[in-house]
Amino acid sequence: MNIVVTVKQIPDPAVPGELNPDHTLKREGKLILDESDSYGVEMALQLVDKAGGGDVILVSMAPNGEVSGLRTALAMGAAKAILVSDDALHGADALTTAKVLAKCVERAGDVDLVITATEATDGYTGTIPAQVAELLDWPSLTFSKEIEIADSKAKVQRQTEAGYDVVEAPLPAVVSVTAGVVEPRYPSFKGIMAAKSKPVDQVTTADLGLGTDDITPNQKIVSVEAAPAREAGEKIEDEGDAYERVVQFLEQLKVI
Amino acid sequence: MYEWSDEHKMIRDAVRAFVEAEVRPLREELEFGDTPPYEVIRKLYSTFGMDQMARDGFKKRLEAEATPATEDDTAVEGEERASGGQGGFMLLPIIELCRCSPGLVTAMGVSVGLAAGTIMSRGTAAQKERWALDLLTFDKVGAWAITEPDSGSDAFGRMQSTARRDGDEYILNGQKTFITNGPYADTTIFICKLDEGNPPQERKILSFVLDKGMPGFEQTQSMRKMGMHSSPTGMLFLDDVRAGKDRLLGETEDVPYREGAKQAFSVERTGVAAMSLGIIERCLDLCVAYAKETVRFGKPIGDHQLIQEKLARMEVHRLNTENLVFRALEKGAAGVPMDLTEASAMKLYTARAATEVALEAVQLHGGNGYMAEFEVEQLARDAKVLQIYAGTDEIQISQIARSLLA
Repeated sequence: MNIVVTVKQIPDPAVPGELNPDHTLKREGKLILDESDSYGVEMALQLVDKAGGGDVILVSMAPNGEVSGLRTALAMGAAKAILVSDDALHGADALTTAKVLAKCVERAGDVDLVITATEATDGYTGTIPAQVAELLDWPSLTFSKEIEIADSKAKVQRQTEAGYDVVEAPLPAVVSVTAGVVEPRYPSFKGIMAAKSKPVDQVTTADLGLGTDDITPNQKIVSVEAAPAREAGEKIEDEGDAYERVVQFLEQLKVI
Repeated sequence: MYEWSDEHKMIRDAVRAFVEAEVRPLREELEFGDTPPYEVIRKLYSTFGMDQMARDGFKKRLEAEATPATEDDTAVEGEERASGGQGGFMLLPIIELCRCSPGLVTAMGVSVGLAAGTIMSRGTAAQKERWALDLLTFDKVGAWAITEPDSGSDAFGRMQSTARRDGDEYILNGQKTFITNGPYADTTIFICKLDEGNPPQERKILSFVLDKGMPGFEQTQSMRKMGMHSSPTGMLFLDDVRAGKDRLLGETEDVPYREGAKQAFSVERTGVAAMSLGIIERCLDLCVAYAKETVRFGKPIGDHQLIQEKLARMEVHRLNTENLVFRALEKGAAGVPMDLTEASAMKLYTARAATEVALEAVQLHGGNGYMAEFEVEQLARDAKVLQIYAGTDEIQISQIARSLLA
């Protein structure tokens, strides 16, 4: 069983990010594996183990031939990676990114399943999984907290507000997984040593057969505003009825 | 080498994440309770595949020892050197563990480095199979017993423990103290003198491998000590313990004990430099954060020059210690052994640096620094022993002076 995992390499969220004049995020420095993708990598490794064979293949799009984040996932156990690094992709919107990733999946060859995160930690559009599925013309299963593969089908537990739905689709399929559903493994020392020599197929958009029209973004960021400062909370003086006000407040929030 | 390689950084980050997730939550128990450190060390081993690496390395080494060296072996060694060697895989976990609980490194180092190391350098193939492999994988815990109540730096000169021949066997007697892992060790290396009725200074030094629970062999409970609480330390009592020749390391009375000891000391002293680096790095991180956020006399204490002087001195020690660790790694990668004098100089400097930095970290934190919650008091207590074990400062100084004046 071969599984592609889309992984994003992002600037370290622990370091305050900076924006370019065109409002895109600066990505010049060293990038790291988006933590939300580490769950997909772990899930893919477990599924391949369970299937008794096959490879986990990473696909990623990042500037400057950046591989640091990929190395982390390769050290965890992924077999190889396809990296699209192309200056023409600067400012790519979600659909452009999805086109590039879908082409990478095709390039990867014999693939049974694509696993993605639900959204990236730096962009948060959350649209890529469904777009990739559509472009590949594969079924899309989203917000999965558990994946079971049997009889050429993917059966997933799709997280809902109340619990989960069980949904299934024939393979090949695209499945997005929610964060925190599995415990991503630490890379072993042997894995870290091996990661350096694992193949990273570095390609451009031209190599993927994408022309300028395909990768011209339809969306651009026109302005960026600081998030509004948090407003002060409401103070309740307790005159014996405070509990009622607290209950009312929680009901209003639909917490209870 | 002036910085860690990308591979090293991956290891560092992975071990640091493990320490934060798995070790730091246990700090209270390890430091102030009586929880032994072995389960969490085993978890470290299995998480990073260190147990499997030890198994593979052991197999390779035994095979290599059984067959004469070939040109291919030399080629492989050359490749390893060209890639920077693998010393970092050993030193980085030491550094990272010491940022939280240096005692874990002491417990691990004694079991793997001293106990298993001694068997690997002096034992027969059968003894290695029987005892060393389980220690190298940390499936079992080892102790290495040389110090006695009336001997320390002059370990061999004043050693009272004896082995007497009795038919094909030996009868062992003696008392050992300050034995790391002593209370829990499954396998103990007992170092003693062969009593043939001759004067003690003329007696041969022998090492025996003892198993837990042998008749006449008592392992006491943990002793209370100043620091390194996460590393259990105990006493051993041997009262007519019978040991066959299969327990005598090398199965011969004629292994010159001091042979190879110098190399072992150099490795141990390099380990202390790495431990110092972990303690210094952690203290400095905590101090910089504290100096920025703590306001006294209307400004952050980091704006006061006396605090700046402390931070600057800590940074100088950090840089020097890191550079010494890098030097040790580079020499290892180049296949140049660290000579004993250099290793002694390195240990002397870094152990003192760690103690000074940790004590100054307590001072910088003021009253908070004296409280256990703020961590630096533990690191200060832990750091002190680096100037005492693996050769005291004074022993390092005399080694350095002896070499200079020779």
